[in-house]
Amino acid sequence: MKRARSRACAILLLSFSPIGRADAHPHVWVTLRSEILYSAEGAMTGVRHAWTFDDMFSAYALQGMPHAKKGEYTRHELAPLAQVNVESLKEYAYFTFARADGRKLTFTDPVDYWLEYKNPALVLHFTLPLRAPASAKVMQIEVYDPSIFVDFEFAKEKPVLLSGASPQCSLTVDLPHQPTPADQLKLSQLDVTPLDASSAYGEMFANKMLVRCP
Amino acid sequence: MNALPKRCSAYHVALVGALAIIIVISAGAAAQAAPFGIAHPSGGSTFQSGPLGWIFAQQAAFYRSLSGMIRASKDDRTAVWGLLGISFLYGVFHAVGPGHGKAVISSYLVANEQTWRRGIVLSFVAAGIQAVVAVIIVAVAAVVLGATARAIGSTVHVVEIVSYGLVILIGARLLFVKGRSFIGAYRQRRRQPTSHAMSMSSRNATGLLHRHVAGVLHCGHCREDRPNHGFHCHDDHCHEDHASAWSHAHGPEPAELGGAGGWRRGLSAVIAVGLRPCSGAIIVLIFALAQDMFWTGIGATLVMGLGTAITVAAIATLAWTARQAASRIAGAQAGIGLLAMRAIEVGASALIVAFGALLLAGYMSSEQLWMFTG
Repeated sequence: MKRARSRACAILLLSFSPIGRADAHPHVWVTLRSEILYSAEGAMTGVRHAWTFDDMFSAYALQGMPHAKKGEYTRHELAPLAQVNVESLKEYAYFTFARADGRKLTFTDPVDYWLEYKNPALVLHFTLPLRAPASAKVMQIEVYDPSIFVDFEFAKEKPVLLSGASPQCSLTVDLPHQPTPADQLKLSQLDVTPLDASSAYGEMFANKMLVRCP
Repeated sequence: MNALPKRCSAYHVALVGALAIIIVISAGAAAQAAPFGIAHPSGGSTFQSGPLGWIFAQQAAFYRSLSGMIRASKDDRTAVWGLLGISFLYGVFHAVGPGHGKAVISSYLVANEQTWRRGIVLSFVAAGIQAVVAVIIVAVAAVVLGATARAIGSTVHVVEIVSYGLVILIGARLLFVKGRSFIGAYRQRRRQPTSHAMSMSSRNATGLLHRHVAGVLHCGHCREDRPNHGFHCHDDHCHEDHASAWSHAHGPEPAELGGAGGWRRGLSAVIAVGLRPCSGAIIVLIFALAQDMFWTGIGATLVMGLGTAITVAAIATLAWTARQAASRIAGAQAGIGLLAMRAIEVGASALIVAFGALLLAGYMSSEQLWMFTG
């Protein structure tokens, strides 16, 4: 009898534990390629991104976009969407976080942005200039969504390029930590209990680029 | 049952009471969690993280494979079977996570005496409505009107708000009815202090008096409830046969549960939760449409709904079983047991309101999906 009661209690509580919204994070997947840009003087000036969205999200974003030819979208036809993209991303700091020897760097608004449609995926190209060019022994650039709504993953081949850096600089790319089952559980609950704004939980899934210069 | 030793009875009462309190507290905690961004439930639940974490990893993998399988179905019709299989599994696994009205339906089944069969049917109807709403939204907005993702997003948004609003209304109505019922049971109990004390004082007399008190309380309960309560209480419950009256104390005969009024109320609850389409289904449908595979997408969505229904029904069964068990325990306790049952019902109704409010407050988080599309 006693055990039956404890079981009843446990069952009742368990049936209430999964509450709230329908979907587990992440919701959008992005395959990332980045180019780190340097000036002739050897200072870093910015980052050029090419983000490939997952095919389902791409189809969703393209829904209802006017285009002349079925299955094809020109850069011109996609210009309004690209505009929306970069404007919306501002609030999220373009998911790009840079540190020069540990000191936080800031980016200005993106330039040279456009969308490209490579069936079945959309690719967003944009360049983020640094507010002021920066040099450092260790330059760290991370791409991640702190709220893990978007999952960023480096492209398999040549995910990061150095453009114009001194040949003595070396690049290392750190793949993000793979979510453990405990992380998976936490991710699944983020819709219900969002991370607070200051939380750096997403950072552990960051795609890290490190440039070491002498 | 009625001749249980005194110490044991106190234990049961405490347990049932604690259950009710835990439910009410968890309702409060849940209401706080999202809007203020505090109280992560993830801490300390390590025993769940293994299997549940695995399930979430699986459902993410299934979701990501759906697009490839839709494309494969384009050239190879036999690939459709694989797609339907994965859609079904995705539905089953996906629904283990938050949402799909499981919490609301479960709370509803705890707050109301329902037959198990009806709980199952309601679960399937809720999942079915969710799938059909997704298909209708995409068919009308995307296929007929050629609407943009942004327009579809705002449509889903409005539907969500309506859905959550209805959940709050249904919860509030239940809370009112059950709250009255609880107060009624409490007052009845207050009016019988002497007979209850006597029943406790003598073990030999306990059985008889318990039966008597139970009968009296039950009659009172029926009278209190009659105008608003979902159930019918026939006067013949209050006849001399108190022992049999107790067996009806927590609700109606199965035949009465099957009545049209009960169905209507149950359906209004599942329609409220079912209105909100799964955003995953919307995206799968739009992807299928872009691949000229809309009918295949509809098939996948409906099969997904079937999978979801199975999970929702399983969880509804747990809730139903828990209520049955609680009501059996309460059955051993005249008066206080009934009061505890009413408290549980009040707690479950409060939970429905809390879920609705939580969802309504939390709908902002879905806005992010539209961040790349405006």
